[in-house]
Amino acid sequence: MGCASSLPDRSSGRLTGLNNAENSGAPDAKNLRVKLVLLGDSGVGKSCIVLRFVRGQFDPTSKVTVGASFLSQTIALQDSTTVKFEIWDTAGQERYAALAPLYYRGAGVAVIVYDITSPESFTKAQYWVKELQKHGSPDIVMALVGNKADLQEKREVPVQDGKDYAEKNGMFFIETSAKTADNINQLFEEIAKRLPRPSPS
Amino acid sequence: METQSQTVAFDSFLQRMRNPASLDLVRSIKSFIVSFSFYAPNPENDAKRIQDFFSTMEAAIRDHPLWASCTDEEFDNALEGLEKYVMTKLHSRTFASSAEDVKMDQEISEKICLLQTFLRPQHLDIPAVLQNEASWLLAEKELKKINAFKAPREKLLCIMNCCRVINNLLLNASFSEDHVLGGADDFLPVLIYVTIKASSPCSDLFLSLIKVQWVFGCIYHEANPPQLHSNLKFIQSYRREQKLVSEAAYYLTNLVSVKSFILDLNAKSLSIEEIEFEESMQAARLVNRVPQVTSITLDNISTSGRQTDPGPSAATHKRKTNINGGSNYPYMEAEAGELTIIDKPAPGRISPLLADMLASNKMSPNNDNPKDKYSSDNEETPSTPNADAVSTPREKAEELWSSVPLKIGLQELLQTRHYLVFLESKN
Repeated sequence: MGCASSLPDRSSGRLTGLNNAENSGAPDAKNLRVKLVLLGDSGVGKSCIVLRFVRGQFDPTSKVTVGASFLSQTIALQDSTTVKFEIWDTAGQERYAALAPLYYRGAGVAVIVYDITSPESFTKAQYWVKELQKHGSPDIVMALVGNKADLQEKREVPVQDGKDYAEKNGMFFIETSAKTADNINQLFEEIAKRLPRPSPS
Repeated sequence: METQSQTVAFDSFLQRMRNPASLDLVRSIKSFIVSFSFYAPNPENDAKRIQDFFSTMEAAIRDHPLWASCTDEEFDNALEGLEKYVMTKLHSRTFASSAEDVKMDQEISEKICLLQTFLRPQHLDIPAVLQNEASWLLAEKELKKINAFKAPREKLLCIMNCCRVINNLLLNASFSEDHVLGGADDFLPVLIYVTIKASSPCSDLFLSLIKVQWVFGCIYHEANPPQLHSNLKFIQSYRREQKLVSEAAYYLTNLVSVKSFILDLNAKSLSIEEIEFEESMQAARLVNRVPQVTSITLDNISTSGRQTDPGPSAATHKRKTNINGGSNYPYMEAEAGELTIIDKPAPGRISPLLADMLASNKMSPNNDNPKDKYSSDNEETPSTPNADAVSTPREKAEELWSSVPLKIGLQELLQTRHYLVFLESKN
């Protein structure tokens, strides 16, 4: 993990050093902007997670973009920094798998989602982790998310499996429920904390 | 609205450039543009030189007395104006400038032509609730505008507008139809479908064959190639880098992946049997030979024909319910049938398909006002094009395919033309 990197914005490619009228609130040490890419099998609830996240924030001052597949949301952290997430959803169907590099190129964060009731989706998640390790930017922050945690009685992927796999690969792990909103904010807050910060200059 | 305010912004940029105080800027811009004629076109170098020039000029404008006390917005307008001015002047030099680009455009265009003849929403597993004809046509219309603009910003806007229409469709479906928001899982297939339907001139060929709008003896091919690859490359190369971020970058990336998907598309990319895919592609190749064999071409149907002639519009409505069971691009999918008619015009007898057309002409509620379909500006108005759709009678489609002619003689076309005109006047 590249958390200690002193050049965080390099990981987000073109998001670097923006300073123009359209993007008011240019990124600096206090106001981070990060491209977050969502990966995971179709039907695991990727978009529901972000929709929950984006709609769940009621800060009237933040500029929010709610699309069906692109969303942006700013959160404030306790240390008074703000992080603007630009969330890129990807199509999870197998037939689009080859297109993923177009989307995760330049991403600072990858959130890889599976469904705890579907072992196949967990296998798919591991595929994405490997792919990102091979082809993603080296200091990308990765999170493994087991969604649909409200469906305990249908669970087929034990919590421990997700935890172990994430730990082995240096990822942050959390189980969420987009339905009940459980752990949704925690997911994004944790990611925000793990983002590499620009060194004060 | 946006276009209007942009025009004003561009005018104010030009105004400022006419001010004698900005003579130095004007000189730099002009000499930069002239300098391009000294070098042979080279896409990579050109892109880098132009992007570097934008950065240099950004600094120069920022420090310029004329912009000394301007707002961020005015400053941004100046840079947008600069981009628009330079890229409009250099358009012919920079757009589709290499042989590879032209070839790539052609390759994609041909592939799309083939796919267009048989691709259905269900091949991409697009849920029925998202098959909304009004939205799709609107999205298609936005995308088609891309070749009407020369500046990268405007071209990008066409893509964004197209994507926003689809976006709204998805959001509306999730609110009103109780369809779980599928995000990109739903978005990308719809964009692929719309792109395929929007890009190809083939549809226009078939459409105008049934419209009988082609100019007598006038022989040229519909000169509006989609140039999908070149448009994308042009935006990626020449849109100012700091503007290619966030939502704009996301939608552009989606269209880039649509292009890539179409290029690599094979039977495995679709929900279709391999044998059916191969057969459909083969049949499409035969159909698409028609324009070359006969050299029959069309006049500009997109402006005249579509909106004034009720016949085909109505026919397409009918076709939708007849053949493709839920697809929303009926007129695109009517070609095999129409060609069958053309192949064997039975004098004095109305072919079943024509009878179909005529009958639907009378029955279609949209008949009196075919413009509705195309001028619907409000994608939020839900249309229910599938309410009366019946499931696909495969046999019928196959029957049509089996009778696709390899070749249409000019003589036969002329006959058919008279025949159709006759029928139309009757109607």
